[in-house]
Amino acid sequence: MGSIHVDGVTKRLGSTVAVRDVSFTVESGEHVGLFGPNGAGKTTLMQMLSTLSAPSEGRIRIDDTEVTPDATDVRRKLGVVGHRPMVYGTLTARENLRLHARLRGVNTERVERVLEQVNLRTRASTRVEEYSHGMRKRLAIARSVLHDPTVLLLDEPYTGLDQRSAADLRRILEQFADRTVVIATHDLERGASVCDRALVLVDGDVVRDVRTDDRDADAFKRVYERAIGLADPR
Amino acid sequence: MIDAVRDYRRVVLEVVRKDLLVELRSRQVLNTAAVFSLLVVVIFAFSFARSFQDVSVVASGALWIAFVFAGTFGVSQNAASEEADAGLDGLLLVPVDRSAIYVGKVLSNTAFTTAVALVTLCCTVVFLGFDVDPASIPLLLLVVVLAAFGFTSTGVLVATMTTRARLRELLLPLLLVPLVIPVLLAGVELTRAIIDGLPTASWLQLLLVYDGVLFLTGLATFEYVVER
Repeated sequence: MGSIHVDGVTKRLGSTVAVRDVSFTVESGEHVGLFGPNGAGKTTLMQMLSTLSAPSEGRIRIDDTEVTPDATDVRRKLGVVGHRPMVYGTLTARENLRLHARLRGVNTERVERVLEQVNLRTRASTRVEEYSHGMRKRLAIARSVLHDPTVLLLDEPYTGLDQRSAADLRRILEQFADRTVVIATHDLERGASVCDRALVLVDGDVVRDVRTDDRDADAFKRVYERAIGLADPR
Repeated sequence: MIDAVRDYRRVVLEVVRKDLLVELRSRQVLNTAAVFSLLVVVIFAFSFARSFQDVSVVASGALWIAFVFAGTFGVSQNAASEEADAGLDGLLLVPVDRSAIYVGKVLSNTAFTTAVALVTLCCTVVFLGFDVDPASIPLLLLVVVLAAFGFTSTGVLVATMTTRARLRELLLPLLLVPLVIPVLLAGVELTRAIIDGLPTASWLQLLLVYDGVLFLTGLATFEYVVER
């Protein structure tokens, strides 16, 4: 459950080609990192995977169901963390999570367990507009796992997270060891440490597809820097 | 099928509840629009009340000017609050037909616009001496609700489209008001007809049909408006 098939996907935004004829497969239970410099197309690809945007060409399937913006069955399987937390600042963390629990038909008792997981229970009655960036990120992670998804899509999850919050995220990802996880990140070290495999995107194209579970962080960093043209290709 | 209908209804109700709670906390739309309505009525009282024989004409003008402002401000603020922390994206990820979000937003914005119109109506009674026949109040209320529904059916759509635009405060009224002119025209004519005791059936029919057209257009196109 939770395999992803991306087949010849292109996304045009006006005259710009943000993602160019990308194809890859993520097996069920695999943890894959999307790495690349700014403007490489990571977020655009993540938005297409999460049904927020439709490909201009090609198709994406999750468990043989085509991912389109009207694919409600696909959305049931997805947990998504974006650049922004997708919550409401004037509501408290608990109110936001209860709203999403009710929207998805999840028992609201689960809200307290998830708040505990991301260490926000003591601040759960505080309005989100008073939260720091890192706390908002933790709340976004809580929202994304509320319905126990089979596929977790995380776009820059480490941005603004302190070491403790990053450790919390790592612990949550360990609980998702048997689920499919796709992480788009600039953080090579943290990203590679939780992924089995890395895809390197440059100018909307996947230029490297490498295993990371059998390499150390430095070895992956060298591969990445060669792929984006920062190091001597020899 | 039954599950899908139940999920759809649940999302509609949750969106309405969330919008009302967010507004209750911030009081941004109701307070601002109510103060504006009060100012409109007071300025109308100073400027026109003595020169017009028929106060009902002035009161009707004040009511519908405040209505347009409250409606435009309401849908604009609602769309801005969805954009602030990408709250709308969170709603779009819910596994239900996305038109449920649209329906919820139309209902909550109709409630805000109607509330401000009622405040304006009370102000016209107090400051302009607008003498409303108690028997005509239910029909007047119905007209306000129907006009608010038609206005926000298009308003939610246009506000969602323009919310990321640099000149959204300018673009929204420029695009929205021409589309809802039949709603406003029917509202003004119906208010006059109710006050003067004239027949209302033909204008009510026009308002109902146009509301239906605007709402169905919104239902059919919301999915495309929110797609990136």
